[in-house]
Amino acid sequence: MILPALVFLAVMTQAPFVVTLWYSFRQWVITDPTIPHKWVGFENFRYELTEDPIFRTAILNTVEFTAAIVGGSLVLGLAFALLLNRSFPLRGVARSLMIAPFFVMPTVNAVVQKNLFLNPIFGLSNWVWTSLGFHRVDWLATHPKLSIIEMAVWQWAPFMMLILLAGLQGISDEVREAARIDGAGPVTEFRRITLPLLGPYIQLAILLGMIYILQLFAEIFVATQGGPGTETTTLPYYIYQTIAQANDVGSSSAEGVLAIVFSAIIATLLLRLLTRTFRSGLTA
Amino acid sequence: MSAVGLGTNRPGLGARLRLGALGLNLLTYALAFLIFFPILWTVVTGFKTEADAAATPPVFLFHATLANFRAVFSSDYASYFDNSLIIAGGSTLLALLLGLPAAYALAFRPSKHTPKILSWVLSTKMLPAVGALIPLIVIYKREGLYDTRLGMILLYAAFNLPLVIWMMRSFFADLPREILEAATVDGAGFVRIMTRIVIPLSAPGLAATALLSVIFSWNEFLLAVNLTAVNAPTLPVFISGFTTSEGLFWAKLSAASTMAVAPVILAGWLAQRSLVRGLTFGAVK
Repeated sequence: MILPALVFLAVMTQAPFVVTLWYSFRQWVITDPTIPHKWVGFENFRYELTEDPIFRTAILNTVEFTAAIVGGSLVLGLAFALLLNRSFPLRGVARSLMIAPFFVMPTVNAVVQKNLFLNPIFGLSNWVWTSLGFHRVDWLATHPKLSIIEMAVWQWAPFMMLILLAGLQGISDEVREAARIDGAGPVTEFRRITLPLLGPYIQLAILLGMIYILQLFAEIFVATQGGPGTETTTLPYYIYQTIAQANDVGSSSAEGVLAIVFSAIIATLLLRLLTRTFRSGLTA
Repeated sequence: MSAVGLGTNRPGLGARLRLGALGLNLLTYALAFLIFFPILWTVVTGFKTEADAAATPPVFLFHATLANFRAVFSSDYASYFDNSLIIAGGSTLLALLLGLPAAYALAFRPSKHTPKILSWVLSTKMLPAVGALIPLIVIYKREGLYDTRLGMILLYAAFNLPLVIWMMRSFFADLPREILEAATVDGAGFVRIMTRIVIPLSAPGLAATALLSVIFSWNEFLLAVNLTAVNAPTLPVFISGFTTSEGLFWAKLSAASTMAVAPVILAGWLAQRSLVRGLTFGAVK
């Protein structure tokens, strides 16, 4: 009964990775017949790792984006979760409104923010900004990284919030009660009780967030096309450019293999965490 | 800083605590509104005329019009919408068809290989899709799957299968074992047990799993933009090309966005209770 699922998975998701590896050792530009299609060993990898300046920029940008977006969403998500983890009227409504951004199609997010909000002349952001007395700013042109980070954090903070809120609800009232009777103030309670007990959830949120945010693509495709220059070119976007615009199968495959290696390191850590919780269960 | 013990009953402390709580409540409401505002603004802009939509300072009171929605639906938007509907629905059905028996076996007949299988299944979800993209483009073009709904259904089913297996295994594991054992003793076969007992008992979980799978397929962009052209492109592809092809038509853009996003937000709200379990592959219940 398991076999059909496993075979299907292997064919659709694993076989392409093997083929990517195979292509990565070949010289092959689809649209240019003058370049011979042949085996070149590690040449593509050597080029990507030692010569290609954009590849290095793309790696650095990807690391920067992932750190900023995961970090930003985690801090905001934790704040939202703490606010929601109290009983107050309309709590369900507030929660529903706050998770909504996570469901928004990433291309819609990028198109709407790029136009309705960040447009330098008609955008709402600049209307608020200039009303506050500041000078008009062309956000996507002068702060492209910040704009992309803002778009992604808006989507991913709710994701972090959901996981951390589940964690907060797992902390029993007795533990908090005991801490309060011992004279712990809200700050001490947060540092000594909440944060340590939330540890595994924070770990889970960070790792899952990294897996997804490393693949950030739609926002960049729509809002900046990797620019200005290569300012917002991430690894997935650069691979897309190498295959879809330069038609270079060999180089793009080598980039793909390297992207897989980076993700695999994070995935291994995450899998270890998940299999551990698979045995014990995070919440009682 | 001296800690104020609970025993010291200073006058006004209770009142101050209540005031603090009220402040936090107001802060939460303000934040919730602020976070939801971009969605609200998009929906509202969809009902404006183009002139009102691009007006600055922004127009808050206006005559609502349905013209944008009509215009969008009489354009080729409808065919993208159909593609999205068929591909998201088809891939979810296929993922359930393959994933439910697997989840059943993993939950009720665990062997010493079960953790390994589960871990492998999940690992397929974690590698970046962009790493599989190049051969997919080459192979799909060669095999005639490029730019077909079937091709996208197969891919999205594969990408959602780990979610189905992990989530449903975790829901199945919550079912009372005695009922299943009793049914097996009564001589019921797999299909009977599945359709009469397991699926009805885990219906809410199944619904949430299906909704999440639909949401992921509906929103997916990287594969859609690279593997489709004219026959099978989905809504995210339509939206991504909107500004370049249509210029500064914000009201129509907003109407198109609203219709692309609203079904998913509603589905997400419906699946809310099992959302965390789905997003963490059953690790958090």
